[in-house]
Amino acid sequence: MKPAPTISSAFLEPGGHSLPEPLLELRKQRGTALVDMPLPTRKTENWKYSSRHLKLTDELATTLPATGKDGYSLSIPGYRVVFHNGVMIPEASDFPDLDGIRIQRFADLDDDEAAALAERLDNTLDTRAVQMARLNSARFEDGLYIQLDKEAVLDQPLFIVHEVTGTASGSAYPRIYVDAARHSQITVVEEYLSSGEEPVMVDTVTEFVLADGAQVTNVRLVMEGENVQHIGATGVRQAANSRFESHCVGFGGPLRRHDLQVRLEGEGGECKLNGVVVTQGKQHYDNHTSIEHVAAHCDSEETYRNIAADESHAVFNGRIHIHEDAQKSNANMNNKNLLLSTGAEIDTKPELEIYADDVKCAHGATIGQLDRISLFYLVSRGIGRREANTLLTMAFINELVEQIPVQAVKDAAQLRLNEFFDQTFQEA
Amino acid sequence: MLSIKNLHASVEGEEILKGINLEIKAGEVHAIMGPNGSGKSTLSQVLAGNETFEVTQGEISLNGENLLDLETEERAREGIFLAFQYPVEIPGVSNLQFLRTAVNAMRTHRGEPEMNAAEFMKLAKEVSKQVDLDPAFLKRGVNEGFSGGEKKRNEILQALLLQPKLAILDETDSGLDIDALQVVSKGVNALRAEDRAILMVTHYQRLLNHIVPDHVHVLAGGRIVKSGGRELALELEERGYGWLGVKDEEATPSAAS
Ligand SMILES: Nc1ncnc2c1ncn2[C@@H]1O[C@H](COP(=O)(O)OP(=O)(O)OP(=O)(O)O)[C@@H](O)[C@H]1O
Ligand SMILES: [Mg+2]
Repeated sequence: MKPAPTISSAFLEPGGHSLPEPLLELRKQRGTALVDMPLPTRKTENWKYSSRHLKLTDELATTLPATGKDGYSLSIPGYRVVFHNGVMIPEASDFPDLDGIRIQRFADLDDDEAAALAERLDNTLDTRAVQMARLNSARFEDGLYIQLDKEAVLDQPLFIVHEVTGTASGSAYPRIYVDAARHSQITVVEEYLSSGEEPVMVDTVTEFVLADGAQVTNVRLVMEGENVQHIGATGVRQAANSRFESHCVGFGGPLRRHDLQVRLEGEGGECKLNGVVVTQGKQHYDNHTSIEHVAAHCDSEETYRNIAADESHAVFNGRIHIHEDAQKSNANMNNKNLLLSTGAEIDTKPELEIYADDVKCAHGATIGQLDRISLFYLVSRGIGRREANTLLTMAFINELVEQIPVQAVKDAAQLRLNEFFDQTFQEA
Repeated sequence: MLSIKNLHASVEGEEILKGINLEIKAGEVHAIMGPNGSGKSTLSQVLAGNETFEVTQGEISLNGENLLDLETEERAREGIFLAFQYPVEIPGVSNLQFLRTAVNAMRTHRGEPEMNAAEFMKLAKEVSKQVDLDPAFLKRGVNEGFSGGEKKRNEILQALLLQPKLAILDETDSGLDIDALQVVSKGVNALRAEDRAILMVTHYQRLLNHIVPDHVHVLAGGRIVKSGGRELALELEERGYGWLGVKDEEATPSAAS
């Protein structure tokens, strides 16, 4: 038998960006643990559809230089942090000093803070299931550490713009850690963009820790170009009565992968996970979500929609794990899929593991096409094919787009959706 | 205005329309009656361009233009409107957005400027009143959860907004209560104009008390087997379809709306 391919040693050389000692130390440790890490293959269950799209060539191993040239022009209503190629660019960022809220880049942490953070990084994730997040832990060049004191409320969304520039091949490893103390509130928007054409990889990790009663909303917009492999992991841990909301909108690429792991660890916790994925051409998008009901009396609500055109491929894998003590859990998972061409493919798989007996758990998945009778009804009123198809496709995701709590993201998503409709639908 | 010559149409290889001939002039109202399954909806759908049905023979022309060369949306823009026997529910598309998109598609076709949201809202509210439909229905999904009668009123609402040249009403009177029948009839009568024609499919002579047709046709077994004036409907009501050599037991009004 051929030995499973392991990660090239080229990937275990971080770049030279300065970080506080404890974080450098952590990174080194994580790197050592990665030596000979087997790469996901077709036989790796959670990568079975995506491993062939993961192309870790040695050129990609280079740390992309952070010049901070891009990402300035974005007009963003709210607070802004710009990362270029995985490193925060202070000149492009704009957020106020606020009582009870600290937003710091990793490079600026003093040794004590850095040591405290190093203790905590990765503690929201099941790193066995998110292999590529481990690479991020060995490679991050910078990051953002957000701490909210108890009852602190960030009054506007915080936009974190992650821009990568593919003028040469390489990779970037952005990292965010959010610590939300009791009854604090924050909305974090992550926007992933790119420029340039050489192949690049973004391997990004975002973590949220919610103390009792904290409320965190995470909006994630993935819009990088055709040269970008995007691999992301989001880890969430929720204490009692906390609420986490996630709104992911993603457009496809050669590889898009997102692992979202939520642990409901205190009674009365709630999470709501919404996702919209749009793929075209030969694009590939893979969402793996996992919700762990560890404590009793928690609610989870998950709604994902995939739209696949041309010869693209979308994957949804939704795991719900209800632990033995998690009585009175309420879990609802729904995944609907729309195929816009006969060449497109969608794979959907719910994975339920239920070990408590007094729970409500519902799940449903459908795959379908646009309804021909609805289409006929619309065009019989003089509406053109392109517009009619657009209306019906929007109808499929409207409910989720409407729920995105940040107007600027809605607008940006709608613009990109309109491009997609123009490229996908023709007049008769 | 509309001329149908020797029209044959089939679905899944089975012939449903077996040589229809029909001439409709501007300003006229024609009624088509006939037993269940005789092909009335098929004829209506073929006129609107539903590709489920294959036209195997014959011609249809609208004001001299060959309709069969046109896509459904082009026919609509040329003035064909079909009020569906079973209006389609489209959750996720608001009725208002649907109606405005349709009206603006027509306006663009005529070289007129599009109506903005506010202008259209005003118009839509007025016309809603005309068919006694609460403007709240504009905000709902297209026909989503509408009752049978509400769906029919929504069809007439569309006809009034789109001002077609030829309005084909497929059992728009079915499933209506007495008041709704009045409202719908008023709406249809409002459509009557010298430059417009109406083709009504109905099982009930009672509609024809409100909207008096110029011609009545009986469609049976895919053919028009009898044509006459207003009085033909009364005769059918009394005698059924049997005397025309058509199976009588199928002639009872369908319970479905
Ligand atoms: N899509 C279809 N596939 C198969 N058969 C069809 C289809 N549409 C119509 N038919 C058949 O064609 C025939 C005529 O149907 P049509 O709906 O035109 O009748 P109708 O005269 O409108 O009847 P009703 O009074 O009940 O509305 C019926 O036998 C029907 O089953
Ligand atoms: Mg019918």
